Amino acid sequence: MVLFLQQVVNGLSTGSTYALVALGFGLVFSVMRVLNMAQPDLAMVGAFVAYLIAAKLLPLSLTTTTSMALGIGVFVLVLLGGMLGAGVGGVILERTVIRPTRGTYILIPFIATAGVGIFLENGANVLFGSNPVSIPEVIPYDVISIGGVTFTVMQLISFVLAVAMMVALRFYVKRTRWGLATRAVAEFPDVAASCGVNVNRVSVLTVGIAAAMAGAAGVTIALLQTSADPFMGLALGLKSFVCMLVAGNRHIEAILAVAFALGVLEALVGGYVSSQLRDAVAFALLLAILLFRPSGLFGSYAT
Amino acid sequence: VVIASLISPYWDSVATTAGITAIIVLGLYISNSAGALSVAHAALAGMGAYTGAVLTTNFGWPFIAAIAAGCVVAAVGGVFLALVTLRMNPLVAGLTTLAFGETMVVIAYNINYIGAASSFYGIPPDTSLGAVYITLAIAMFFAWRFESSRLGLAARACRDDRVAADAAGINVTWVKTAVFTLGAALAGVGGVLSAHYILVVRPSDLSFQNSLPLLIMWVFGGSYFFVGPVFGALTLSFLPELLRFSDQTRYMLYGLVLTAVIVRRPQGLIGRVPLGSTWSPLRHLRSRPKVPEDPHPGLEEPSDADRELSS
Repeated sequence: MVLFLQQVVNGLSTGSTYALVALGFGLVFSVMRVLNMAQPDLAMVGAFVAYLIAAKLLPLSLTTTTSMALGIGVFVLVLLGGMLGAGVGGVILERTVIRPTRGTYILIPFIATAGVGIFLENGANVLFGSNPVSIPEVIPYDVISIGGVTFTVMQLISFVLAVAMMVALRFYVKRTRWGLATRAVAEFPDVAASCGVNVNRVSVLTVGIAAAMAGAAGVTIALLQTSADPFMGLALGLKSFVCMLVAGNRHIEAILAVAFALGVLEALVGGYVSSQLRDAVAFALLLAILLFRPSGLFGSYAT
Repeated sequence: VVIASLISPYWDSVATTAGITAIIVLGLYISNSAGALSVAHAALAGMGAYTGAVLTTNFGWPFIAAIAAGCVVAAVGGVFLALVTLRMNPLVAGLTTLAFGETMVVIAYNINYIGAASSFYGIPPDTSLGAVYITLAIAMFFAWRFESSRLGLAARACRDDRVAADAAGINVTWVKTAVFTLGAALAGVGGVLSAHYILVVRPSDLSFQNSLPLLIMWVFGGSYFFVGPVFGALTLSFLPELLRFSDQTRYMLYGLVLTAVIVRRPQGLIGRVPLGSTWSPLRHLRSRPKVPEDPHPGLEEPSDADRELSS
């Protein structure tokens, strides 16, 4: 039982990183019908911004502190830096690549953003080398144990962060003016435009927010693994993509739930069945969903 | 290409790989010519590769027979995929093929007979540069004839407007399945050639990571005319090698060139009509050129919506 719960906890921690990238995927796809293949690489950008701040900019005394409060303060700083870096990258991406190609055949923005992904990966490879860079443990390595189930503070933070991001995104989409405009564009782009919604601005905001969330994911992963490498986006991308498809892109909560569920399922299959089948879980799930509910478990906007 | 191969064995290998890739991308083009979207051609080619490799290595079949067998196996996979994805829209169809490809990877990892995770070794080196380019020439001739054949025209009609094609008496089910199968068979041939050149088949060869470049080459070269995909495959295979003067940054430049070309010329380098140009749910969202100045001011104010869209 303890082992089982331990696997669940580890799965939730992995799932939270899928969730942050998948939320951005879902947001961009639902609003603009663009599969932004550069999304996981923007997470990589966030991770390297975190590396620059934590390993190069801040003094060692701050990043290896034993005080939890200070550690969390530094974490917030690094997180904001990573989100800002990736967010700016997202806005540039929107202006240069997504805006000219959106509304065409679905493959065109897909391949254009995949090209951006190749560019970012190899750009980081040139700048930082292909070996993983090591990142100091900003959050002190404290192990919390509840009834034999152990997890680190960082794992807890990654879980809380994913939920908090989902709540914030939900608030933005459902309660704010720009969120309303975003939903209008997602539902009926033509009608929204004719009602005076500035579609281009919605598009910039959407991609920017999605990129910032990817950045947060990148920072979280970097600090969970205490390392980052230029090609870390590859593995992350396909999994979170599957989360978005299985959940459907209509409900933000659904994407989060599916991401957690996938993380837990993977951990359980990896722990009890075989570690080789671990990566197959996502695609078996995807195949089943596509055959029986092509618009995802909880519904999607029409394509 | 011939000149390149004469210069050094290094360029010989680049040219051979480029030719094999061109054959598989041509298969992708034919498969997708009736409006399907396959993200699994690396998997189909890989199925052909495994088949051909096992037959020549373990059973001593002649190379030509192995090619034929690989072709048949990939075609069977193609029929299956075509029937499953027949009624789906391009996005869902593409994702289903993606899941199919990844499932094939897992299956390949778990069959010990074909080496499982430690790959399939010991394949005889039967593929030569000449064989590859003769096959490519035959495939291109076949594609050229296909484009103006009844089947090719019917496929084009299905892609442009499925309902109209149906109304005009075209058997859409048959055309889409047949075309997809032909393309899959060609990919299988490419796979067998590749297996006998690289001399090892790995489960990861079947994955999406290897299908994506094929898709990129197809769209990059031009998706509406059979020369396009071949051109795209050859160009993008040679491009990183030609960029070797900047060894570190060449893949970065590759990404940059790719993005720039797709953004500037969504129809690809060869061809006039962009992919999916006839129908798109978001066609009104394309960024448009600025609304020209009204020659008679005051007669008709452009609406707010026009301003929003053109800004």
